Amino acid sequence: MKKINENFGDIVEIFIQEKKFTGTLIPSVNKNIVVLKLDSGYNLGIKKNKIKKINLIKKYSEKKDAVQEIVHKKNLPTISILHTGGTIASKVNYEIGAVSSKFTNEEILAMFPEIKNTANIDSRLLSNMFSEDMRFSHYNLIAKEIEKETKKNIKGIIITHGTDTIHYTSAALSFILQDIKVPVILVGSQRSSDRGSSDSELNLLCAVNFIVNSDFSGVGICMHEDLNDKICLIFPGLKTRKMHSSRRDAFKAVNSLSIARVHKDGKIEYLSNYKKSNNKKLQLKLINEKLKIGILKIHPNMFVNEIKNYSKFDGLIIEGTGMGHMPINEVDKFTKEHKLILKEISKISKRIPVIMTTQAIFGNINMNVYSTGRKLIESGVLGNYCDMTSETAFIKLAWLLSNYPKNKVKELITKNLNGEISENLGKEFLD
Amino acid sequence: MFDYNDLSLKIGLEIHQQLSSKKLFCNCSTKFEENKLDIEFSRKLRAVAGETGNIDAAAQFEESKNREFIYHGYKDEYCLIDCDEQPPNEINQDALITALSLCKLLKLNIPDEIQVMRKIITDGSACSSFQRTALIGYESKDSYLETSQGKVRITSLCLEEDACKIEKVEQGRVYYSLSRQGIPLIELRTEPDIKNPEHAKETAEKLGLILRSFSSILRGIGTIRQDVNLSIKNGNRVEIKGFQELRMMPKIIDYEIQRQVNIIKQGKKVEKEVRKANENGTTSFLRPLPGSSRMYPDTDIPQILITNELLRKTKIPELIEDKINNLRKKYDLSFELASEIIKNGINFEYYATKFNKISYGLSSSILINNIKDKKENLEFVFENLNSGKITKDVVDEILNDLKNGNNINLSKYKGINDEDLEIEIKKLINEKKELSVNALMGILMSKYRGKIDGKKLIELINKNKK
Repeated sequence: MKKINENFGDIVEIFIQEKKFTGTLIPSVNKNIVVLKLDSGYNLGIKKNKIKKINLIKKYSEKKDAVQEIVHKKNLPTISILHTGGTIASKVNYEIGAVSSKFTNEEILAMFPEIKNTANIDSRLLSNMFSEDMRFSHYNLIAKEIEKETKKNIKGIIITHGTDTIHYTSAALSFILQDIKVPVILVGSQRSSDRGSSDSELNLLCAVNFIVNSDFSGVGICMHEDLNDKICLIFPGLKTRKMHSSRRDAFKAVNSLSIARVHKDGKIEYLSNYKKSNNKKLQLKLINEKLKIGILKIHPNMFVNEIKNYSKFDGLIIEGTGMGHMPINEVDKFTKEHKLILKEISKISKRIPVIMTTQAIFGNINMNVYSTGRKLIESGVLGNYCDMTSETAFIKLAWLLSNYPKNKVKELITKNLNGEISENLGKEFLD
Repeated sequence: MFDYNDLSLKIGLEIHQQLSSKKLFCNCSTKFEENKLDIEFSRKLRAVAGETGNIDAAAQFEESKNREFIYHGYKDEYCLIDCDEQPPNEINQDALITALSLCKLLKLNIPDEIQVMRKIITDGSACSSFQRTALIGYESKDSYLETSQGKVRITSLCLEEDACKIEKVEQGRVYYSLSRQGIPLIELRTEPDIKNPEHAKETAEKLGLILRSFSSILRGIGTIRQDVNLSIKNGNRVEIKGFQELRMMPKIIDYEIQRQVNIIKQGKKVEKEVRKANENGTTSFLRPLPGSSRMYPDTDIPQILITNELLRKTKIPELIEDKINNLRKKYDLSFELASEIIKNGINFEYYATKFNKISYGLSSSILINNIKDKKENLEFVFENLNSGKITKDVVDEILNDLKNGNNINLSKYKGINDEDLEIEIKKLINEKKELSVNALMGILMSKYRGKIDGKKLIELINKNKK
């Protein structure tokens, strides 16, 4: 097999049989194939063992974009943009196939020039990761960076974030950032910024407009309201969930209204009450990075071992069926396992906090309606009458365990601390 | 009109042919009927840096128009993939196999690995701002078309998604239908070997015939489209899109040559641009010609390795041209009759075998002229023709009566034999000596309409009226 000495980005001539190709070498996922970008723009894969000869035509030299230094305008407010990665911040160098980070002020403004007229930005990279790789440590890291930013004269903070777990991060920051006096808006994108149809531009512009024109303080998520590139919603950090794997309007408020609708031109319509900016001092209440919290999804045909898996954990969220149920009733010869499950639930609840949420997503927990629920309450399962999403309950439990003694945790988990539990449920549902 | 050689005229063709069954990257049907509006949404597109880091000229041009694009999805003819709300599925295997089969037929080389690319389009006609396209075959020394004016080399074959159909344009807004977006499209491209406008038409026709040999293509208006690339000495490359009828192609090319000649005469520069072929034979400006930096890999779709297993699934159908020639040979038919039979998909073999007393020429012309008639009606006529119960002259009348649901009484159509006819003519001439030949014709034709041959009648009248 021919060894390829040329590098990606080099322009080469490749000879196979009767044919000669000229093009740019592109990285290939298959090690037996050489990929060439032809003048026509198409990429072509050629088996290495077919190649007779390669001639180098021109060495690759990375084009440096002409960087124009951006000077802050005095009459505009400043927004800090902290990047954590995900679709919105990704920028691929297709010439050599590497992912390059476009996170400086200049690069962000080059990508989204409309921001220039509304705000100055201070942009920097915290980490470049897929959001599913986030751990508690990252929540603490982001919170500490936010604290640093709040010491500057800024109007608010934007966190760019992968959408998959953005609602976990928004919940974590909602608890960690006690008495935050500025808006912290998480922004994601469902279509990457390298395509003309990306949703990132509207999401980012609406977040900027909201921060500049609102007196909101606290944590929110800014994403598309529907399939139109017209309006974004500011979602409450503790009551929001990704409800679609790919649509740009994937996020929905759960058992709650959104905070506001933001139009592209900056117009804001408030939809619910919110905490206004204040002069209190920000206090960080971080999450213990060593905590092990589990989420167990209930399903038919369960086995006791599924619960035993969590015996060494510090807390457990049970995503139950309906109003908070799980298979604990021995009704016939087929359901003997259920008796063991009930026994195990009682045992684990004595040791660690076990919180019930609903896999129905919308609606609240009421474990008094059926005998199953009442048995679970007796066993020590918490969360009755609450309407927290599993994700918010998961973060809240970790945060409480990090900052309060265990007996206090059991008391606070069902108490509304920061808007995570609704006082009553209205008509809000998926429309 | 022009000395094309002297002008250094260069013409290349691009043929786009839609494939049937399902869309290229989803399971939506390709039926494109637009019966029930299901969804409407609005998008803004922006130009982004392409693979080589430059914002493409064409892309930028369109963005500067800063338009709002409104998309209409019709029931069963769109899905979230077409709305740019879901990443694509695997490439449609039937379409890929058809494309590979065509490559084999045209003797194009097939890459070892295929990469689906995103071709940037920001006029809104692709909801995602790009059209997915893959190079399936590239030129080899044997990939050419034999024409009456020499070889036309075939450059490449690409498999791509069709774009949205424009519905209407308003101030600052363009409306598109998603039904056509994603329909598999074969793009065939030739080298600029075409020598003159008539040659362009011939080449387009030949390629069209080859494509139509495949059963997996869509047929009907708009399913095949031709683009012409042309340049002349001191001019520039211009692409002409949207030929409605192939017969207009030479006229439109000549118009474009004249336009460029005029520009050059005035000492001005011919711009590289895309122009529209108008129905009146002229061309008009559409947009600047896109540069080359408008493609980058579709990172949502893994590279496709062209395995032997895949290549074994390719099938080369009998070509229409071969089918026509075979039919001509077998039944001694004219080229016109044979090609009409093949193009209309008539099962001539069946009629020729079953009703073998009818001449092949007659059978074929009846079948071609009455293509829309029901098979049972045609069979009735063939049956009676075959057994001599009726003559060819009454075929149309019987078919017409059958279509109108009339009862058929064969005696009504019964012809009259020559001897009886001659007796009748003699009798008539004796009775009414004052009648002219024309008057006699009139009387007899109205009596035996459709049952006697006019030519024979006039012969007989002339023979007896001396």
